[in-house]
Amino acid sequence: MELLFNIYVFPGTLFVLVWTVFVFWFFRKFMAYLHKRIGPHYNGPAGSLQTLYDLSKLLSKESITPHNVNPYLFSAIPILAPTIAILTVVLIPWTPELTIVDTSYGVLALVVLIGIEPFLLFLTGFGSNNKYSFLGGIRILTQMISMETSFFLSALSPALLFGTMNLIEITEANTWLTTLILLPGAILFFISILGVLEQPPFNIPDAEQEIVYGFYTEYSGTNYFLLKLAEFGEFLVVFAATITLFFGGYRGLFFDSFLCLFVKMLIMAMLMLAIRASTPRIRLNQMLAFAWSYLVPLSFLNMVWIVIARLYIVGGG
Amino acid sequence: MEKLKELIGTFDVAYVENYKKVWIKAKLNKASDLLGVAQALKDEGLKSLVTVSPTDFPEENKFEMNYFFEDLLTRRNAWIKVDIPRELDRCEIDSLTPMFPGANWHEREAYSVFGVKFTGHPELEYFLISQDYYGKFPFRKGFDWKAHEANLIENMNTIFESFENEHVENEKRIGHAGSRTMLNWGPTHPASGPIRLKVEVDGEDIISVKPDIGYVWRALEHLVEEKDFIGALVALERICFMDNTNSMLCYAQAVEEIAGKEITPFAAMMRVVLGEIGRIVSHLMGMGGFFNNMGLMTLFMWALDVREYFLDVLEDYSGARIATASIEPGGVRYPLDVNLLDTLEKAIQKYEDTRTEFYTIFLKNPTMKMRAAKTGIITAEEVESFALCGIVARASGVKTDIRLDEPYAAYDKIDMDYMTAENGSAMNRFEVLFKEMDQSMSILKQAIADLRRGIESGEYDPQKDHMVKIPKKLPAGEAISRVEWSRGELMIHLVTQDTIPPEDQSAKRQPYHDGRAPA
Repeated sequence: MELLFNIYVFPGTLFVLVWTVFVFWFFRKFMAYLHKRIGPHYNGPAGSLQTLYDLSKLLSKESITPHNVNPYLFSAIPILAPTIAILTVVLIPWTPELTIVDTSYGVLALVVLIGIEPFLLFLTGFGSNNKYSFLGGIRILTQMISMETSFFLSALSPALLFGTMNLIEITEANTWLTTLILLPGAILFFISILGVLEQPPFNIPDAEQEIVYGFYTEYSGTNYFLLKLAEFGEFLVVFAATITLFFGGYRGLFFDSFLCLFVKMLIMAMLMLAIRASTPRIRLNQMLAFAWSYLVPLSFLNMVWIVIARLYIVGGG
Repeated sequence: MEKLKELIGTFDVAYVENYKKVWIKAKLNKASDLLGVAQALKDEGLKSLVTVSPTDFPEENKFEMNYFFEDLLTRRNAWIKVDIPRELDRCEIDSLTPMFPGANWHEREAYSVFGVKFTGHPELEYFLISQDYYGKFPFRKGFDWKAHEANLIENMNTIFESFENEHVENEKRIGHAGSRTMLNWGPTHPASGPIRLKVEVDGEDIISVKPDIGYVWRALEHLVEEKDFIGALVALERICFMDNTNSMLCYAQAVEEIAGKEITPFAAMMRVVLGEIGRIVSHLMGMGGFFNNMGLMTLFMWALDVREYFLDVLEDYSGARIATASIEPGGVRYPLDVNLLDTLEKAIQKYEDTRTEFYTIFLKNPTMKMRAAKTGIITAEEVESFALCGIVARASGVKTDIRLDEPYAAYDKIDMDYMTAENGSAMNRFEVLFKEMDQSMSILKQAIADLRRGIESGEYDPQKDHMVKIPKKLPAGEAISRVEWSRGELMIHLVTQDTIPPEDQSAKRQPYHDGRAPA
C-alpha cells in the first residue's frame, strides 16, 4: 500500500504531474512579472488553471509522426525521456522519513540519471529526420560533452567533503560552515546544470531564432507534452539534487520538512528565471570556450579547495 | 558645388543646374557618357550611388534614367538624368555596379520591374518581385494588372513550383554525402524584417548566405500611381508601419514642392514632433528586436511598455495607434489640442524613468557584448561604397543625418548633433539606437517648448495653422524629397503629369537593416 502510494502519489507520478503544472504556471507568472506583463490571467485564480488547460489541449491533439522517420525511435524517446527523468525521484530524500531508495551510491546514481537525459534528447533530434532537429541534436551532444566534466566534478565535491555518497548522510551532515565551503562548488554545479538542462544562456540546442525549435521541431500533441513533462521532471530532480547536495535538502532553519526543500527549490527556480530574463543566449563556440577554458579548470580547482577544506577546516583527517 | 557643376559641364549635357541647396541636377545627351560621368563624380568624392530610378514615358517612347549620387561627408549631391529607348530589346545602359557596389540591388530592381538591361552587371537576375511577375516587367505603362491578378491560382502555383524546383536543385547540387545542407531562415516578418536568408551550412559552419527580400513586394509605386495624393498616403505610411509618420512626411514634401506651396511654421514644428514620435516608436521596437534575435525577450517587453505611452500620443492626435495618416501634403492633418503636449511629456517621463534600467541591464550587458561587439562590422569605406545610411552609417562613424545635412520641416530650429559610434559592429548600432532615443527625447522637449511658447505668444494658431490648401490637381513636375527616418535615409522621387489622377513614380531606399546582430 505504501509502495503504491509512493509510486502513484508521492513522490511518484502524481507529484511530478502536479509539480509540472504548478512550476509551469509559476515560470510563466514569474517571467511575466520580470517582463512587466501580466501572464496567465483568465483561467482560475491568477490564471493558475491555464497550464491544466494547455496540458489537456496537448493531450487531445494529434501526435504527428512525419513519414520517412523511424517511427519506433521517434515515438520511443518521448516515453523513455520522462520515465528516466522521473525515475531519479527515488533517490532524493524528500522528507526526513521518506527516501525510496536509500543507497550508499546515491550521488553516483543521481549524476548518471541526470547525465543520461541529454543523450535521449539528442536521439529525438537524430530520429526526427529534419535538418533543424538534427542540428539541435548535434548541439545537445556538443553541449553535454562540454558541460559534463564540470557537472560531475562539482557534484562530487559534497561527497568528497563528507566522505559519503549517501544522500541522507550528506543532508544530515550539512551545516552553515559546510554550505559556505561548498558554495563555489554549488555555483559551478548550478552553471553546469544550466548547460545540461539547455537553459539560458545555454539554450543553444533549441535556439528558436536559429534552428526553429531544435530537437522539438517535429514533435506535437502528446509526444510534445511528454517531452515537456520530461523537461519539467528534470527541473524537479535537478533542483532537488542541488538543494540536497549543497544546501541541506529538507532541513530548515526551524523545522525539517518537505516544505523547506520546496521553498529552496522555488528560490532556485527564481534564480534560474532571473538569469533567463536578463541574459541573451551565447553562441555555440563561445559556450565551448567558456566550458573548457573556465568551467573545467575551475572545477578542478574546486576539488583542490574541497580537499584542503576537508583536511584543515572540517578536520575529517 | 560650382566645381561639381563645371565637372559635369565638361560632358555633353542638355543642362546643368542647381537644385535645392545641396544638389546639382544635370541631363546627359548620350547614354554612353554615363560611365565617364560616374567615374568623374566618384573621383570627386561622391562615392555613394543612392538609387537608380527609371521613369517611363510611353508617349515619347523613352525611359528617363535617374541616378542619384551622394557624398555622405560634404553634403554635395548630384542627380544625373539620361534618356534611353523604351523597346524591350533596346533599353540597355551600362551598369554602374562594378564602380558602385551599392547600385547592385537598385539595378536589379530596375531590371525586374522595368526591363532595363544593365550591361556589365555581374548578376542581373530578377529580384524583389515574386516569381509570377518574372519577365513581365509590371511597372511599364500598359501592364495589365487586372489580367494578371485574375489568374491568382496559377500565379501562386508558379511561386510554389519555383520553391519546389529550387529545393530539388539544391539537393542535387549539395548531395547527401557529407554534412552540408541548405537552411531557410525565414521568410520572417515583422520582428526581423521581411527577408529570407538562404543559408548554406556545413555542420555549424556557415558557408554562404544569400538574402532574398522579395516577400512583401506590394508594387507600392503602382498603388501610389492609382490614387490621388491624399489617397496615396494610405499606401505610403505602410512602407514601414513602425515609423509611418516619416514616410508620409517625405511624400508630402515632394507634393508640396511640385505644387509650389509652403507650409506654416506651426505645421513644420508639428511635423518634427510626429516624426520624432515615429522614430521613437520604431527604435523601441528595434531595440527589442535586437535582443530578441539573441533569444532574450525581456527588453522587447519593456520597450513595448514604454512604446505604448508614445502610441497613446499618436492615438490622441490622430485616432489611430499605428497607421496614423497624420501628415499630409499641406501640413499636418488635425489641429492641435494643447493637452496632447501633456500626454507627450508623460510619455517622455516614462522613458526617462525606465532609461537607467535599459542602460544598466541591456546596454552594458556582458553577454550581449560578447556576442555582438565583434559581429557584423561595417567599415566607413563600406558605408560609402554601398551607400548605407542612417544608424548603420553612423555606427561606423560616418556623420550623415538628413535632419542636419538638408534640414526639412522645422529641424533648422532644433539644436542637435550627429550621434555616432566608432567600430561599426552590431553592438555599436545598438548603442547608436540608444543614443538616438535620447536625442529624440531632447528634440521633442525643444519642440514642445517651442510649441508652447508660440501658442502663448499668439504666433501659432493651433486650430487653423495646421494646414494650407493644396489643389487636388497638380501641375506636371518632378521633385525629390529626403527625410531621415528611423531606418535611415528615405528618398522619394516623384514625377507628376498633367492628368487626374496624377502619375507618380517613387524610388526609395532603406539602409540594409539597422542594429541586428547576425549570430
